[in-house]
Amino acid sequence: MEASTIKSQPLQPVLVYLLVAIGMLLIAPHIGELNPSFIAIGISLLIWRALTVKLPTLLPVKFILLPLSIGLTFFVFKTFGMSLGRDASSSLLIVLIGLKLLESKTARDAQAVIYMCFFMLITPFLFDQRIELAIYGLIIFFMLLFALVLNNTHTASFKNPPLLRLSGFILLQSIPLMLLFFVLFPRMIGPLWAMPNQQSAISGISDTISPGSVSNLALSDETAFRVRFHGKPPEQKQLYWRGPVFWDTDGFAWTHVLPTPVNNDTKPTTVPDTSYQYTLMMEPHQQRWLYGLDTPISAPRNVQITNDQQLILKNKLDRNLSFDITSSNNHPRLELSKNAKERALQLPKNIDSRVTALATQWKNTNPDPSDIIRQALSFYNAEFYYTLNPPSLSKNPVAEFLFDTKRGFCGHFATSFATLMRAADIPARLVGGYQGGIYNSVGDFYTIRQADAHVWVEVWLEEGGWTRVDPTAAIAPNRIEHSIDVSQQQLNRNITFLLSPSEGLEKWAQHVKWMVNSIDYYWQSAVLAYGPEKQLEFLSNFGIIDWSDMILWLSILSGVFVLAAVSTLFIPHQNKDPVQKGYLRLCRKLSKITEEKKPYETTSDYIDRVITAKPTLTSELNIIKTLYLKTRYGSDNQQAFLKAIKQLHISNTPAFFYTRTIHR
Amino acid sequence: MILWIIYAQPSIYPINTMSLTLSQRLSLKRFTKGEEAHAGSITLNHRRIFILPSKGGLALAMVILLMLVASINYNNSMGFVFTFLLAAVSQASTLYSFRNLSGLNVSLAKAPPCYAGSMGHIKLYITENNNRNRWTIHASHLHKQTNFDLVGDTSLLVNLPVKLKTRGWYSPKTITLSTQFPFGFFRAWSPLRFNEPILVYPSPIDFETTLSISQDSDHLDGSSSPLTGTDDFAGLKPYQQGENYRHINWKALAAEKGFYSNVFSAEQSTQTWLDWQACTQLSIEDKLSQLCFWVLRCEKKGTEYGLRLPKIELTPNHGARHQHACLKALALYGS
Repeated sequence: MEASTIKSQPLQPVLVYLLVAIGMLLIAPHIGELNPSFIAIGISLLIWRALTVKLPTLLPVKFILLPLSIGLTFFVFKTFGMSLGRDASSSLLIVLIGLKLLESKTARDAQAVIYMCFFMLITPFLFDQRIELAIYGLIIFFMLLFALVLNNTHTASFKNPPLLRLSGFILLQSIPLMLLFFVLFPRMIGPLWAMPNQQSAISGISDTISPGSVSNLALSDETAFRVRFHGKPPEQKQLYWRGPVFWDTDGFAWTHVLPTPVNNDTKPTTVPDTSYQYTLMMEPHQQRWLYGLDTPISAPRNVQITNDQQLILKNKLDRNLSFDITSSNNHPRLELSKNAKERALQLPKNIDSRVTALATQWKNTNPDPSDIIRQALSFYNAEFYYTLNPPSLSKNPVAEFLFDTKRGFCGHFATSFATLMRAADIPARLVGGYQGGIYNSVGDFYTIRQADAHVWVEVWLEEGGWTRVDPTAAIAPNRIEHSIDVSQQQLNRNITFLLSPSEGLEKWAQHVKWMVNSIDYYWQSAVLAYGPEKQLEFLSNFGIIDWSDMILWLSILSGVFVLAAVSTLFIPHQNKDPVQKGYLRLCRKLSKITEEKKPYETTSDYIDRVITAKPTLTSELNIIKTLYLKTRYGSDNQQAFLKAIKQLHISNTPAFFYTRTIHR
Repeated sequence: MILWIIYAQPSIYPINTMSLTLSQRLSLKRFTKGEEAHAGSITLNHRRIFILPSKGGLALAMVILLMLVASINYNNSMGFVFTFLLAAVSQASTLYSFRNLSGLNVSLAKAPPCYAGSMGHIKLYITENNNRNRWTIHASHLHKQTNFDLVGDTSLLVNLPVKLKTRGWYSPKTITLSTQFPFGFFRAWSPLRFNEPILVYPSPIDFETTLSISQDSDHLDGSSSPLTGTDDFAGLKPYQQGENYRHINWKALAAEKGFYSNVFSAEQSTQTWLDWQACTQLSIEDKLSQLCFWVLRCEKKGTEYGLRLPKIELTPNHGARHQHACLKALALYGS
């Protein structure tokens, strides 16, 4: 007779299958991120456990399980070392969940497995926080809640609508409190302790530019950053997003050297006529620079504006962040210092004589530097081709490109152009960044993709200061007019710049794409970028300016929320049954005719009494009576019953007098 | 965590039962033993239901803390989202744990009397008036426990066995209804005490005392004799609890026919007095046991029997009601 406690009851096969499925779903996002051997181990352990449901003899005994656990744990630590970073802890969890599930025999074990799964659930987000993955996580979260309910009620079947509904309802009910904590829980800057260095992929423009280095980006549809303009945006062809500025070259590649800190006194004293205010919404690219238009004149405090108009961060950007920046399109007319001039004229040691010869020839025929530039551009225009699949270059890339292959893309054009300019005694530097962007009319922002990556040159002219020259534009002017649509690009082929006009279905597809992009934008800017800085900025709108305020408001609001939730327990139970409601309505209507239903009366008796009190309603009331009995005790007839009640009209006043006289 | 603790305090607003004094409200006993014993039914409300994290809930708190540390360390928004969601879910689950118990109406069903030394049954009659499903409620009394669901039903009889050692009135100790529904994070419990004692008869034991006959003057037919003889074997009958083991027919038992005892022929009177004085050499409890055995024996045989205890006399009769009256007199002797 003695019932064992719920915790030591054996596991239901249904729950085992559910947990195996959840385990698989948890491992899935790690495929491609983690060491495949751990994923294979995790999956095989889960499959093993699933098989044991039908074949209990396969269940491992202790002496197999113990060495297996020790061995696998040792394997994890041997692979990753003792520090439990992102990859190591995810791998360890995958293995441990499999082992624990294999060992599970009771409900208590299952509870432990589910707890581990909850922790496991957040590990994919350390790699990637896309919105799809978040929804995926939410589905797994719901499955875990259902698994908990199954485990605690010992239900032996999936098909349990009340429990499914309950899990879903609790989940929905928890969301407001979660949001409250998300917004108000004080975020800290920086990790609690230094984590082992993760090889996070550096994306976008890198800190060295060789002629062919941008080609790997040209086909990438990934978002580099997004921009929202406050006010009128510049023209599409003016959208040159300046990133790192390259001064130094060894003849093969151009290397970015982080500028030494400068005082910000060199800011222009007068506010220029045309300035653009915009919010830059960066993706983490693991670099220290940002991308800005022309000449940035104001930036957030954590961003430094250098002399060569770069925006430099104190640390590598490792999370989504947004920056409010103001740029002017007036170039500052600064003097070029001697050092800078030397640096901007330095030629690589391996410079080919053909290059210097060509530059000298130009220099001799044109006294004015701008004429040299013009001549150089027409040189490119006449003989060069733009292709994403250029012939490979070896010893002396610049000369080989200029005089032999003549095929290339922005990297080739820019590096060779800068070298030519320097050879012609015009100070020149290379700028890496992005050109253009796709305007999203749904979300009112620009998306700049990796495919928009671009390299161009800035030259120093006495009359205009540093001036942008884009030699690539000399080849393919359309490159500047429109962004290249990645979907239209194909490898091994010259690029066509003709954009087919979007019409009909295509237009719709475009629109849907924008919508998705907008959702992604808000996801990035509102959810993922909600870090310490953004939190302070957002909460300061409400007068919350520090930790103690946040804690105070968090306690007050969550207290209010919990009290509100608790108070729902004391709201009298509302009868939700429509038939019961209809019946009560009927009783109210009938009480106008005669006295209310007595507790001892059955419904039929009561209706009969009403009929004797008001014979004019005999037929209607008889129908209602039959329908009521049918709905309550027979086949389902709800709608007819409710309709009949609705149609029952009782003329108020005469009935009132009538009843009065009867009962006196 | 703070929220849990705030919420773990039972609310102290009485609704429909008598109000408690402040010292009663704050008494720790209320959490474990329950309020004053109560006759009739008890409806579980916020005053009687308490809720605290279970062991699983404390483990969950550790998990949430770990998740929070990981989220802070990587400054990971989605990590925060799921950490807070889990915490919020556990907070919301307290409401469901509470709702799983609240509104249940519990009363003790009339328990059939039983004999000391045997297992008795506490029968909880549980009714559900709110049209809600109740899952996995754990009922316990002393160390006996059982689980029950109320899904789609409106009432249920829950049986809790109890070892009854001594005769007389047995008052059930605190009966605790508890639940860890829905997630096992919290345990809501309600300690209940009922003022519905169970009558425990003395255990029937045959000490083979011969019943000295005390006849009524009306029935002087001289036909009475000891109730059971030991002279002539007269056949087998099913073994009755409390009979001397020496009367068990071991042959029948060995043949796996079950417990049978030998019956020996004896003359019987149609009306017998079972007299306290008859078993003088026994201790009081043994006397009661012997009398109890005789009462059962006489009832079985259809004899009319009367019971004579110091200061109590029940005139000869038979039938279930009479048997109960006799056994009750024995059970409550001296109290």
